[in-house]
Amino acid sequence: MKEEILFEIASLSREPLRVKGFRFGQKDSTPSCVIVGPIAGNGINQLWIASRLVNFLRQKELENPSLFKGEILIIPTVNPYSFNMSKAFWPMDNTDIDVMFPGYEQGETTQRIAARLFEKTNNFDYALLLEARKDHSECIPYVKVLDTGDDSAEEARDFGLDFIHSRKPTTHDTVSLSYNWKIWNAKSFTLVSGKKGSLDKGDSRKVFDAIIRFLCKKEIINLPIFECSKGNIITNENIEVIKSGTAGLFDSLVPVGEHVIHGQPIARVYHSLDGSLLQTIIAPCDGIISCRYDYPLIFQNAIAFRIIRLESKI
Amino acid sequence: MIEEVFRVNLPVEEQLTLKRNRFSPIDRDAAGQKRISIVTGIHGDEIEGQYVCFLLAKWLNENPDKIHGIIDIYPAMNPMGVDSITRGFPFYDVDLNRVFPGSTTDFLPAQVANGIVQAVKGSDYAIDIHASNIFLKELPQVRISRSNADELVPLAKKIGIDFIWVHDAVTVLESTFSHTMNTLGTKTLVVEMGVGMRITKAYGQNLSEGILNMMSQVGIINRPLTPQGKTSISTLNSQVHFINSPSAGVFIPSLEHNVIVSKGEKLGEIINPLLGEVKDVLLSPCDGLLFTIREYPVVYEGSLIARILEDRKEI
Ligand SMILES: [Zn+2]
Repeated sequence: MKEEILFEIASLSREPLRVKGFRFGQKDSTPSCVIVGPIAGNGINQLWIASRLVNFLRQKELENPSLFKGEILIIPTVNPYSFNMSKAFWPMDNTDIDVMFPGYEQGETTQRIAARLFEKTNNFDYALLLEARKDHSECIPYVKVLDTGDDSAEEARDFGLDFIHSRKPTTHDTVSLSYNWKIWNAKSFTLVSGKKGSLDKGDSRKVFDAIIRFLCKKEIINLPIFECSKGNIITNENIEVIKSGTAGLFDSLVPVGEHVIHGQPIARVYHSLDGSLLQTIIAPCDGIISCRYDYPLIFQNAIAFRIIRLESKI
Repeated sequence: MIEEVFRVNLPVEEQLTLKRNRFSPIDRDAAGQKRISIVTGIHGDEIEGQYVCFLLAKWLNENPDKIHGIIDIYPAMNPMGVDSITRGFPFYDVDLNRVFPGSTTDFLPAQVANGIVQAVKGSDYAIDIHASNIFLKELPQVRISRSNADELVPLAKKIGIDFIWVHDAVTVLESTFSHTMNTLGTKTLVVEMGVGMRITKAYGQNLSEGILNMMSQVGIINRPLTPQGKTSISTLNSQVHFINSPSAGVFIPSLEHNVIVSKGEKLGEIINPLLGEVKDVLLSPCDGLLFTIREYPVVYEGSLIARILEDRKEI
């Protein structure tokens, strides 16, 4: 393993922002894979996964360097500054680095960070991004694939996770890291899991295992693995969005990942002063809770749940 | 007349409301009346528009007989943000000006955006007043996307503002209030002026005079035109230069705002307070109009220091 400082950004009173990479295998050997940890400073699960990967691969490389066939670069995070202040976005101006890609070396600070990160990561065969959901929800671990007409969704089965969410890019995606990787011909996958600002070691372990499995299937490393799920490729058409009809105290009755049946009560919303029951949220279909609102106070029309519909195939 | 255009329950006790003040002609024959909407406070930390709304409403209160059309004034599109120095939409931490046209069934910021669109829809004109942010101070200016330039530049000239910036269209700006309203047939101008969290009285006075002049020229009010300053306009030929900080430090400006700068003239310094050293000296790359200058002193590498319009064209 080679630990390197990929780039730095100076600050007035703090130590410079240092973005570190951990490189395994021979530089420029193929196939190659870059793994980028959380861009937002509240992706604790993702930071955990990335640092466990560094630790695990370092141990394996010490034991037997010949297990590494291709090159792997892990960048656990590009945003230590935000992590150290418990902020999601860039501490100075609250901008999201993940809307600055491919970046601009002559531009604003976060555009320059994006440009430097992109320059270090845009020449790999595979590019993985670890991400917490950006909205107020926690979710099961899944692979997100931007459907640009290639076979990435099929290839995502090599992670062995239960669900692969394939969706068409929107205008917002055009400035994201994963989209720009694709434009530059890397096979790009985003692994989404958990809840912002918290650590779930169980779900994080699933993502960790999925990445090791993927690296083995792609013959970048050679390690024994268990086979896992074949993966269900789903689109937005397979997802039922359930909103809260009212604002108040949100009491969820089911965890994410739970199988629910049509008609089952899945949450209650109470009046926050007099305690009266305002609404019982009912599952509108059979399926699996893939996402759940992550805060005990809920707004009217906020998305309370997403359910992946269980549908009979004809 | 104060009207409520949107209301929704918040989780604890309170309701979020959007209000406007509507001024109509005394003689109520509404046929053929033109309508203008003055909108501000989409970014909760931008306060300059509050003073403009006040001055306009004050004039309209005092001159009901001179009103020939409908004038709607919306001072606070992001009410929780305005009342709490929060730029984005609180809780969701999203930029309200990136969720237009919004939707009644989407998350709260989108419901608010939709409420604004439904209320303003049908206006002949709209003016969306912004105040930059806390980092930059802007000369009063109207910003117009290149694709709308033919229609909107003549309207912007009626305001007699210091500067009209015709910029290239950016995909992410399709989710702004102004893009949505222009698409729906309301001629919408975006004004940027001053600095976040502050009121620059002279700018507010000039802009409210300019808006009254514009309303006179399109027949919404009846008032003799007052003299206005000169307008610079960026065209395809003139060039806007961006000056970004080459290093981290504290920016100490050398120039005041609204000045014509010469090529090579000193704009300011980046200093290091710990070392007592000047790290960089920033010079103007061209002759031109300095229309943006850094207000918040602490900078990183890349922080925007100034924008200069080269080749000032007077019209
Ligand atoms: Zn603004």
